[in-house]
Amino acid sequence: MNLFTRKVKAEGNCYSVKSEIEKLILEKDEIISSLGYSTNSIDEHFGKMIDIAIDKFYSVAEIKAGYKIADFEKPEGAKDNILLEGHVFNVGKIVYSQLKKSEKAVIFVCTIGDKMEKWAKKELQNDAAFGFIIDTVASAAAEKAADMFHNFISDEMEKDDLNITNRYSPGYCNWSVAEQHKLFSILPANFCGISLNESALMNPIKSVSGIIGVGKEVTWNDYLCDTCLMKECIYRKKKQTELNKKEVTDDR
Amino acid sequence: MSELLDKIEYCIERGKVDKVSPYPPDLRGQDGSDELTKIALESGMNPADILESCNKGMLKIGEKFSRNEVFVPELLMAAKAMKAVMAHLKPYFQTGSVKAKGKFVIGTVAGDLHDIGKNLVSMVAEGSGWEVHDLGVDVKPVKFLDTIKNNPDCIVGLSALLTTTMENMAKTVQEIKKQYPGIRILVGGAPLTKDAAEKMGADGYAHDPQSAVEFLAKFNKAS
Repeated sequence: MNLFTRKVKAEGNCYSVKSEIEKLILEKDEIISSLGYSTNSIDEHFGKMIDIAIDKFYSVAEIKAGYKIADFEKPEGAKDNILLEGHVFNVGKIVYSQLKKSEKAVIFVCTIGDKMEKWAKKELQNDAAFGFIIDTVASAAAEKAADMFHNFISDEMEKDDLNITNRYSPGYCNWSVAEQHKLFSILPANFCGISLNESALMNPIKSVSGIIGVGKEVTWNDYLCDTCLMKECIYRKKKQTELNKKEVTDDR
Repeated sequence: MSELLDKIEYCIERGKVDKVSPYPPDLRGQDGSDELTKIALESGMNPADILESCNKGMLKIGEKFSRNEVFVPELLMAAKAMKAVMAHLKPYFQTGSVKAKGKFVIGTVAGDLHDIGKNLVSMVAEGSGWEVHDLGVDVKPVKFLDTIKNNPDCIVGLSALLTTTMENMAKTVQEIKKQYPGIRILVGGAPLTKDAAEKMGADGYAHDPQSAVEFLAKFNKAS
């Protein structure tokens, strides 16, 4: 059951994707874990804050996602850069190694809107712990929406017997966040209501953008944390959370 | 009298703000740091002793945080309890009968609009007795330089979340060190590592609010 239900042709080779928010299930245990606690160790006071933030998410979030399919090319002698719609992206060795066998690339954006981040900012002034928890819930929701969008693309491509790669975003895996500007220049202006500032920061902040490689020879791989220097990366934390969860299940 | 100070210290450690605060559940209905500070001042206690008790409470919760016994929400509740005390102590800071540990100037570097990490460090530093000058986000080097000019005895904290703004952080460190070589600079943020901080010429790298206040204390001792 996916949050994203069907694609709708937007301009050019772009599609927006319809969503049904109730299909995005935010697990309280996952939020608890991302805050650092185990399920039984969190105080009831903070547990209630998580419940309130999750409840409100469903009434205020405005989930939007969209994508464009582009031909995937490699500049001559490429080792760490790719060519999409006339733009050379210096994606770095890690991302290049995962994308190099692609035939097409899905350039995408996905957002939960700006209501949660505005609420978090307001609460940080009054009750910082609550503001922090709202922000954590919003980040988890944006990542989950991006996961479900990824699954939607996987299903779409499977119809043509094509595989997909992991998604890669500027700012991660040694790919400079400044390349967001090139990525956004390929998409229609203000696509899905997301804009970019001079510093390559997306507005709304709780948005995810990136590239997914598509082709017969590409594969999805586990995170490549061993080769990356970003120790506080959200994907490293996510991987650790998944490993912890697996260990608990294995112990049972 | 010392029993009252112990209670204040405990309220800070546990994040008990006031009587109506439901947190922590086991102290529900009891006076918090707000009421206890008021009582202590009315009974003639030395404001400096009250501040000292608060710092002890913050140190205890900070140590628990470092040992992963508590997490950011508890740390923020302690900072909130501390804020309630500081509201009562403010007049004593103004008259000079109570002194802050030092001045801490903090900001997110130019080109970066992320503020949650910076705000967490600000709150915990303030709660630990520092006079915090928060310059906000997207702070150009010139703003840091102007603030240092007016506060030559400060310690500077720089925050960045984006990999690209790390370059701006390095430039800011260099510009500050060029004009004010004696100013201590602490850096922090998700894309940073201890090595990167050293390379850019910073004096310290803090990976969380508690390590930031530990650095501030260390710098303070050294100066």
